[in-house]
Amino acid sequence: MLAAIGGEVTTTLLIVHGLLAVALLGAITHQAAAVLLPAARPAGSFTGRFRAVPAPIYANAVVVLYVLTAILGAIIYAEYRITIRIVLEELQLRVANGSFELKEHLAAIGLGMLPAYWWYWRQPATEASAARVRATLTVILAFVVWWNFLVGHIVNNIRGFGS
Amino acid sequence: MSRLFPRFAIVFAVVYALVYALAVWKNYALFTYHPALNEFGFGVQKPKDGPAMYWYGWMANAAIAGSLAGLLACLMPDTAARRLWPGLAWLVPLCAMLFFAWLLRGYFLR
Repeated sequence: MLAAIGGEVTTTLLIVHGLLAVALLGAITHQAAAVLLPAARPAGSFTGRFRAVPAPIYANAVVVLYVLTAILGAIIYAEYRITIRIVLEELQLRVANGSFELKEHLAAIGLGMLPAYWWYWRQPATEASAARVRATLTVILAFVVWWNFLVGHIVNNIRGFGS
Repeated sequence: MSRLFPRFAIVFAVVYALVYALAVWKNYALFTYHPALNEFGFGVQKPKDGPAMYWYGWMANAAIAGSLAGLLACLMPDTAARRLWPGLAWLVPLCAMLFFAWLLRGYFLR
């Protein structure tokens, strides 16, 4: 099933995986910025407007994008395991290899946080304890998404990266 | 829904992260995938022709355990459920992430 897909299909899935990850990165970064540095409204500057988005409307999109990105990542992971990881080991690129291992574990743990993340974004922002929990969940998920995006991007380009 | 779902979500986040970390650490996979052969096998199997992948099996274990624990939490009396600290939903996964950074330290420190 997973590794039986051809090289062209894998490339297509990898591109779609990357595009979904870009959308996810944008949505979660907006939310994280909005909860960490809430902007005064009306915001005038670019960064002020970036932080002044109505963050709750991103929650459903973040959950759907995270799950879709993870599913596609899980499908193409088999191909990575057969063809890419072996090359990383042969080239002794230990940091890249370890970073990718960590990426897979962070992605898996992030999946388990999604129900709580979704629930706390449905609660009124006026409740202080719920606001703290959802802010923390959002920041942790934002870190996971950024780590996974950067590591995936670098490993994808590693044969040309820095050489 | 509104009364029970937060219990489920908090307990799911906690148990999923704990079971996933334990599954990776001790290699308890529900099933193994052999990508070179395109074969699945029950439980932890040795590599056949090419590498063996346990990641899917670790996540399956975590998802099943988290779901069962979350459903059990829904059956808890309200008095017990009120003691459930919502911060566990991020604290335990965060600790699991730090555990993996420690577990994989050999890649970065040698």
